[in-house]
Amino acid sequence: MPRGTSEVSEPMYFVLTALRAGPLHGHAISKAIKELSRGRVQPSVGTLYGILERLNERGVIAVDREETVNGRNRRYFRITDDGQALVEAEARRMQEAAALVLRPSGA
Amino acid sequence: MTTLSRSNTRDLERRYRRLLLAYPPTYRRAHGDELLDLLLEDAAPGRRVPVPKEAWGLLVGGLRSRIVHQATGSAWRDGLHLGITAVAMVNLAALLPYVQALPLWTLLAALALLAVLRGWLRTALPLTLLVGVKMVGIASGRQFFDVTPLPVYPNGLSEAALFETSDPYLVAASYAVVLIGLVVLTSLRRPVRARSWWWWAAALPAAWAGPAWLAEEFDHPVSLSRMAAEVVALGLAVAGGYLARDPRWALASGVYLLIVSSDLAFHAEQLGRQHLAYAGILLLLVTAAALIPFRQRRHCLD
Repeated sequence: MPRGTSEVSEPMYFVLTALRAGPLHGHAISKAIKELSRGRVQPSVGTLYGILERLNERGVIAVDREETVNGRNRRYFRITDDGQALVEAEARRMQEAAALVLRPSGA
Repeated sequence: MTTLSRSNTRDLERRYRRLLLAYPPTYRRAHGDELLDLLLEDAAPGRRVPVPKEAWGLLVGGLRSRIVHQATGSAWRDGLHLGITAVAMVNLAALLPYVQALPLWTLLAALALLAVLRGWLRTALPLTLLVGVKMVGIASGRQFFDVTPLPVYPNGLSEAALFETSDPYLVAASYAVVLIGLVVLTSLRRPVRARSWWWWAAALPAAWAGPAWLAEEFDHPVSLSRMAAEVVALGLAVAGGYLARDPRWALASGVYLLIVSSDLAFHAEQLGRQHLAYAGILLLLVTAAALIPFRQRRHCLD
């Protein structure tokens, strides 16, 4: 996958991709990003929550529910329809870009 | 869990809580524990000190969060308020080296700054006017309101007498900027936000005349401590414009630059190449703060 695409930053792409499977809390999102990127993308907690807040402000993700675990609040985030459309458009754009390089020569 | 590992976790938690102070209090109250949970879950067993990457992420994330929280409401109204806050702070700083000789007027200048900071515009107006008239009087050798023995000698913060190297017009200009801003903001009949208490901390480096730069070569030295405070403040203005894509910090910096450039223009004949470099750095930072909100987007959510 190309780093730092022009449409969505790479960590944002992995956050949105992780949330396609269903609502997740911060720790689960962090683990999913690491797995999906094969350990290449591991944002710090401060960076991850900065991304989540920005995506939430832009309406690309939303808070699905809040739970209290060990007396501490925990938010579960879900991807919105706008977020779904955005990440799919980004995947298509990258697929088309990759095809330019990966298609068999002379095809 | 052993006693030792519990103690290590407590140390780590305490240190992460300190780093979380970088976030605005409202955000910290709402989500601080959520971030802390994740930080502690990810921590290696026995770890007592935050991972540098996490510490840096919290500091940058906190600063970003603070800046974005500030970028709400009317940009020009807030920018104007921020700008006159900076000038009111400098006006107070100008009096701090003479607090022992002018306790009442320094107190009134501090109350004027407090009123500006808290957004009490109608209180700030008469206080600023009162102190401004008195200071213009001292700068021009006149006695307004009470008798002040002239010259007013400094304490350890400065070596020059009050307004020894200044001019009544310059003093009047720095108070007039605050007064005009207050009149404009009051006429809008909209409340302005309360500003950070950190402005009080900025008054000391702004007041301290030393270590003086160019004191040997020129009659108009520049205080390095004040220069450092200016560069940090204008650097934050650039960061604010970059992160929030908002021009309010540029407007505030422009208001402040107006005062600095008036002072340099007044001393034009005593300036050297280094003074121009100093003015150039400030101008560069203010220009960057003005242009950076319009930078190209790297991605659609930037």
